[in-house]
Amino acid sequence: MIQTRKIENIILSVITLCAAAIWVFPLYWAMVTSLRRESRVVSDSAGLIPDEFNLTSYIDAILNTRLLTWYWNSIGTSLIITVVTVVTSMMCAYAISQMRFPGRRLLYLVVLASFMIPAQALVVSQFILMNDMGLINTWGAIILPQLIVPVVIIVYKQFFDAVPKELREAVLLDGGGEYTLLFKVYLPLNWGITAALSIITFIGAWNAFFWPFLVATSESTMTIPVGITQVQDTFGVQYARVMSVALLGAMPVAVAYLLFQRRVTEAVMISSGVKG
Amino acid sequence: MTGVILRNVEKSFGAAKVIHDVSLDIPKGAFSVFVGPSGCGKSTLLRMIAGLEETTGGKIEIEGQDVTDQEPARRGVAMVFQNYALYPHLSVFENMAFSLRLARAKQSVIKQKVHAAAEILKMVDQLDKKPSQLSGGQRQRVAIGRAIVREPKVFLFDEPLSNLDAELRVQMRLELARLHREIGATMIYVTHDQVEAMTLADKIFVLKDGFVQQAGAPLHLYDDPDNQFVAGFIGSPAMNFIPARVTGRSDGLIMAQPDGAGAITLEAKSTGEGLSDGTIVTLGIRPECLRPAETGLSAKIEMSEELGGVSYLHARLAGDRPLVVERRGIREMLEGRTIHLTADPADILVFDPDGRRLR
Repeated sequence: MIQTRKIENIILSVITLCAAAIWVFPLYWAMVTSLRRESRVVSDSAGLIPDEFNLTSYIDAILNTRLLTWYWNSIGTSLIITVVTVVTSMMCAYAISQMRFPGRRLLYLVVLASFMIPAQALVVSQFILMNDMGLINTWGAIILPQLIVPVVIIVYKQFFDAVPKELREAVLLDGGGEYTLLFKVYLPLNWGITAALSIITFIGAWNAFFWPFLVATSESTMTIPVGITQVQDTFGVQYARVMSVALLGAMPVAVAYLLFQRRVTEAVMISSGVKG
Repeated sequence: MTGVILRNVEKSFGAAKVIHDVSLDIPKGAFSVFVGPSGCGKSTLLRMIAGLEETTGGKIEIEGQDVTDQEPARRGVAMVFQNYALYPHLSVFENMAFSLRLARAKQSVIKQKVHAAAEILKMVDQLDKKPSQLSGGQRQRVAIGRAIVREPKVFLFDEPLSNLDAELRVQMRLELARLHREIGATMIYVTHDQVEAMTLADKIFVLKDGFVQQAGAPLHLYDDPDNQFVAGFIGSPAMNFIPARVTGRSDGLIMAQPDGAGAITLEAKSTGEGLSDGTIVTLGIRPECLRPAETGLSAKIEMSEELGGVSYLHARLAGDRPLVVERRGIREMLEGRTIHLTADPADILVFDPDGRRLR
């Protein structure tokens, strides 16, 4: 029995390692490519093993592109999206879960319905709206449509629903109101959920490409994922430089992931419904 | 002075009426208990006094003030919940101080009140701990402490001991009785456990289906129940009920023949007003009032519970009717044997077919 389990474990480990290798190979290849001279990237002599440590493409990317501006735009828009989304979603979920008012169920149905509409379906109308508001090529245009993240509301609502109602009643008897309940009791009960949802929202906003690509046409308002396309346009197909910008762009998220690995895993599990 | 007055209080959830025209007076400083089976409305009534449920009709007064439409926090009540409802992220001290902080009390006042409450509850050395680090009994003490620091006019307890094990429940029961003696506040306690009700209460309100069946001192309810429900609910083991047919009346006694007992007749102390021969009644006899006799009810002992000082004989009468007999100081093995039982007329209560007591 134990022997069978050991063999099973070994087979599973091998399969997992193979999957990890397939997943990590593009990253590895991007790194190897970014460290080569442009002339060697597509030559026959370029093999799988790193044989060169050349930072020219990184220096070029920093000095000859607007990478730092794109960084600033990505950091600024992602942070604003994260803070506003989490705070408004939390309040919306609290109201739907804990307060009794006419139209409460309808409001939740609207949230659920918006969860089911793909973002692409709204692109044209949102673009026209942003254009009419004169927001194209501003942070406003990048940020506003990304502030609606129904999954954050749904996860918060599930959490608020699960808090025993006696806790709410204890606060009401103690003289507290909705503000006390939300900010002094419910949220401190589980900062983990707020941290997890903040991280997942931040990563989503940082990696967003399609919408920022449509509304940020000026280099000065582009975010990192959009800026990468400009590197390609400006220098033709220069793989080393594209890869270096891509890696530099992904670095903050990678660092954030390494620092908050447990929270990110928790966030993915919560938002996918594996864990409530 | 009256602590809490309820006048014609009603509560409906949609079309379902769960509290029917309840009126009661709870004296100031008394320990009152609402007792009844699950779904009788006792917790709803308590929550209405707390302001956590709106009243559909009627009036609630606390120490002379009409609080029917007041917010829970302004009624001067504090509540202890069955599941403690402690704030898990706060220390014991902060749990107790929570309401005082919301009321913007001075730090010195908060410290003094929390420490005073902790002294009463013997929790001074636990103040820095989180609720998760405490046992069930300690958590319940913190919940009580949280109520004490508010110095409420009325303490409300909603089945506070139900989550504790049997031993701890007895211990906490004694502590609650001590607490009531020490602080002398009006306390209303909800339980389905009639032992808790009997041991703690100055006054018990027995509820069933949203109606108060009877109110009074514990022993008064035990000795002189108004109806079959109260007679059966108060007392453990419960009162034995035996259907019988009235065969005669004389000098404040009625004679009745229990179902399936042949020619055996029992005498019960009752004027029997309105009863005629042949009327079906129910005789109620407490287990401790049944005693062996040469002639009497014939009962076959099926099982005997030996608790040391006392034994409970579980028997069956003719007609398969169950019967419990309490015996003290006798350890004779009686299982499988048939014995004859009788009781003094004064110890046999008579109930009409609607369950009303016939005195």
